[in-house]
Amino acid sequence: MINRRSTLKSMALGAVSTLAIAAVGISYAQAENKELKIGFVGVTSGPAAAWGTSNVRSMQTRAAWINETGGVKIGNDTYNVDIVTFDDQKDPKRAIAGMEKMAQEGVHYVVGPNVDDGAAAVRPVAEANGIIYFPYAFPKALYQKPASNAVLGMIANYQSGPAIYKYLKENKGVKKIAFVAANESDPLSQRDGGVEAAKALGLEIVAQNDTYQNDTRDFTPVLTPIVALKPDLLVLSGVAPANAPLLIRAARELGYEGLISTETAQDAKVLEEGAGEYANGFISVGGASTPEIASDTMKEFVTRYTKMFGEYNDESNTKVYALEYILDTLKANPAAINDVAEFKKTMDTFSAPNPFLKGDAKLGYVGTTSFGQKRQLSVPMVVNEYKDGAFQTLFVGSVD
Amino acid sequence: MEQVIANGLYLGAQYALIALGLTLIFALMNVLNFAHGQMYVLGGFITYTVYGQLGLPFVVALLASGVTLAVIGALMEKFLFRTVIRRSHREESTMLLAAATAFFFDAVILLLFGEKQRGVPKIVKGVFNDAGIIMPYDRLVVGALAIVFIAAFVLYMQYSRVGRAMRALAQDRVAAQLMGVRVDRYSMIGFAMGAMLAGVVGGLLVTITGVNSGIGGPISIKAFLMVMIGGAGVVGGAIAGGFILGMMESVGLTVLREYGDVTYLVIFAALMVFLSVRPNGLMGKPWG
Amino acid sequence: MTLSRNIKIAAVVVFLAIVFIAVPAVISASGRFDLYYTLTSVALLSIASAGVWLTFYIGRINIGQGAYALMGGYVSAILVMNHGWSFWLTLPVAGLFCAAASVLIGLPILRLRGVYFAMVTLVLTEVARLLALALPITNGAKGIVSIPLPGALSVFGITLIPDFATLQNSRLAFYLLAVTLMVACFAVMYRLVNSRIGKLCQSLQQNEELASSIGVNIAYLRVIAYAVSSFFGGVSGAIFAAISQSIYPSSFTVTDSVNFMLNCFLGGLGYVFGPMLGTLVLYFGWDLLFQTGQFQLLIYSGLMIVLMLVLPNGLLSLAEMTRKKG
Repeated sequence: MINRRSTLKSMALGAVSTLAIAAVGISYAQAENKELKIGFVGVTSGPAAAWGTSNVRSMQTRAAWINETGGVKIGNDTYNVDIVTFDDQKDPKRAIAGMEKMAQEGVHYVVGPNVDDGAAAVRPVAEANGIIYFPYAFPKALYQKPASNAVLGMIANYQSGPAIYKYLKENKGVKKIAFVAANESDPLSQRDGGVEAAKALGLEIVAQNDTYQNDTRDFTPVLTPIVALKPDLLVLSGVAPANAPLLIRAARELGYEGLISTETAQDAKVLEEGAGEYANGFISVGGASTPEIASDTMKEFVTRYTKMFGEYNDESNTKVYALEYILDTLKANPAAINDVAEFKKTMDTFSAPNPFLKGDAKLGYVGTTSFGQKRQLSVPMVVNEYKDGAFQTLFVGSVD
Repeated sequence: MEQVIANGLYLGAQYALIALGLTLIFALMNVLNFAHGQMYVLGGFITYTVYGQLGLPFVVALLASGVTLAVIGALMEKFLFRTVIRRSHREESTMLLAAATAFFFDAVILLLFGEKQRGVPKIVKGVFNDAGIIMPYDRLVVGALAIVFIAAFVLYMQYSRVGRAMRALAQDRVAAQLMGVRVDRYSMIGFAMGAMLAGVVGGLLVTITGVNSGIGGPISIKAFLMVMIGGAGVVGGAIAGGFILGMMESVGLTVLREYGDVTYLVIFAALMVFLSVRPNGLMGKPWG
Repeated sequence: MTLSRNIKIAAVVVFLAIVFIAVPAVISASGRFDLYYTLTSVALLSIASAGVWLTFYIGRINIGQGAYALMGGYVSAILVMNHGWSFWLTLPVAGLFCAAASVLIGLPILRLRGVYFAMVTLVLTEVARLLALALPITNGAKGIVSIPLPGALSVFGITLIPDFATLQNSRLAFYLLAVTLMVACFAVMYRLVNSRIGKLCQSLQQNEELASSIGVNIAYLRVIAYAVSSFFGGVSGAIFAAISQSIYPSSFTVTDSVNFMLNCFLGGLGYVFGPMLGTLVLYFGWDLLFQTGQFQLLIYSGLMIVLMLVLPNGLLSLAEMTRKKG
């Protein structure tokens, strides 16, 4: 009994001290400047951990950088940026709890969730509590009226897909196209979008029903029948970064010689380790870190990220923007800091220089064509080609 | 079609090896080890570190994976499962403990090795391509090794003193104890062996499919499926289950692909029907 | 069962006072409005877990409750969206649909025992997800979104429940709905377990052959218990769909099924109120550790292991142990 009691006691002590440490950490950050809380609700554990982790870390890196250099000036006040994170474990029910937590913490701007079902589930909470959120999910219903609080944080597959297929059709002579996707909501929706785009371009679709369980480790059985159809382009719709190298390697080892592409962001190191030279020529969507287009700010961002977390993740390239947009829009209209209606007003006219790209690229809100209202971050549509351990820019497009 | 069968056989060999460790632990202790997949992942990361990062020979890495996991397994049995089994009213309670250890491993692995998919250089380069069958050499090597390990395990269980004791234990715990088998000791050895198998197969497969910190749970579930098909707690059953599931996936993915996204729906539904007809799998011991 | 009748009644009154009066009062006083959703979740998940507990009660490890929660969510969502039904009508219909489905599924699979039943129900969860992806009526991968909030419920012109969309605080409304159903659910469970049927079920848990040989219709009992269990799952899934105003094939997955089972283990398989306490601790525990950031899962699972070592028969066995000692 004594044993048990002391165990319980030490458990309680442990819990209390952890909380105390956390509390000290927070109050320390408050020391000088005012505090601006920006939220993150996404998945940072489990099989999809890479999506949320690359996302939240890019926010934390940027926030630490800003705070180190004196904070961000919005209106008459200077703020330190505090990233409040919530791991939703890729469960839409948890995502709602996360959004409630953000509302409780007084957060008005939240990045995430990372998947379709979570993004749909948090909508009622976000709209009821005056929160603008930036999901990395593509369903149009999230961004079209009457929805108004979600802003798409990246390029959607139905925007990049057609551009990639068109480029490959015109420059690489692609005629036959095949799709393969995991049997989950996000990849299947992206595949359906891809099929539509390929049809519109007049490509011959040789395979579109092939699916795999997301826990598949050996893709040879999935790809054997597809490779036999000899497509010119194999599209890995909505592929998870962990699965991409395995699919590529399996396809190449089966003797596939055509092109392989996807519309999601990937990591060069993962491709290199998982598929080696087989990954050469693999086409994916990137953000800003390829040497051809990255500005010095972007390069420093990568350095700081690497220093802070040990290793950079190329997926973060598409995810550096959301926080930058939030801060810059707030700078343009300080009244928006506690009032998302002001933020929405500013979105229609907002424009600022894009710090991550060379040249005079601009930040702005787009999406009129796809959603009928400006509910998307204008990020450059950078299409990359993997070559010997790094990405090279294939072409850069844009979305309106 | 030759290709489809070859794929199925290779997949089956790797599945069977994954299922072996799980079924061993189940046979000895009636513990459904939810952490099996996490042990596999840990084994994979150890091989990744030793072979991929430190550049030591692959065999050394494999050994390191096996030994580490064996030690972890033995400790888990001694300090966690033995206590809980002794003190709980219903032996299913170990499922919560197993799930908790699975989460714990998940957390540790994520903190230690990060969120990214990892891979190591190929152990053998090149692709075998003849008689309508394409199979990379490294898969052939791994497949052959898997079969060697399976055979060695079966022989060990059949003929060694430890193996015989464990089989006695699996058949009837009380009777084995009365006959002078040291139940605690062999439970621990069995648990360590099961964990070691998970670690070794994780290390072996990291050369083909890589490893990442999130796949533990799904691997456990897949291993459960194989064990159920063949029959829980029977070594032969686990091997048969592995090969059957491998073949079903390989053939199913080819034959059913025209009908849309239903391949796995059909496989799982067939599994439910099969178990309804044969409630103890192919050759399992009846429960209850 | 040593408590006298009066103490029991007093305990129930205190419990009702806590969930219906004290909790809302404390929340509005402290301003922690996010707790409404957390507690709503706990209430709904504990209803589903109660179903799983009931299958444990007949000696079956059920890892398939996620399937029925998903099914219930879809039934409610489809009836509301495609057929214009009132949410309040779809709620019992969702439950009954799941109960009916579970009879069909249960008849063959309830013959399985132990880990086989556990496995086959786990596969069932995956089958439900894949069906939701493949069937045309569920809208496949795109899910069903923009489901309206529950409307008003009136009988003979008297409004019993107001339209949720017009409410200032729909979170409170969902909380009250969820805890009301939770109270009802556990009342049913308590009644069931302490009835003649309950005693018979307990005999199944111990020895089915023996029960059968003394004339208990075991097949019938098993199916009834499983149907009630699935009814609970369906109802809780339907309310979740209403709260999130959306449902996807991934709204309830294998993880949920496993969690429902873990809730029962943690609370204690021998106690009717085990699933409620287990859900509260497991779900709230995760939320409380929100501050610990990247160590959240590590601490959470570590505490779970310790709890299991200290109280392998569930949290509620603590009360029994102290009583024995005293």
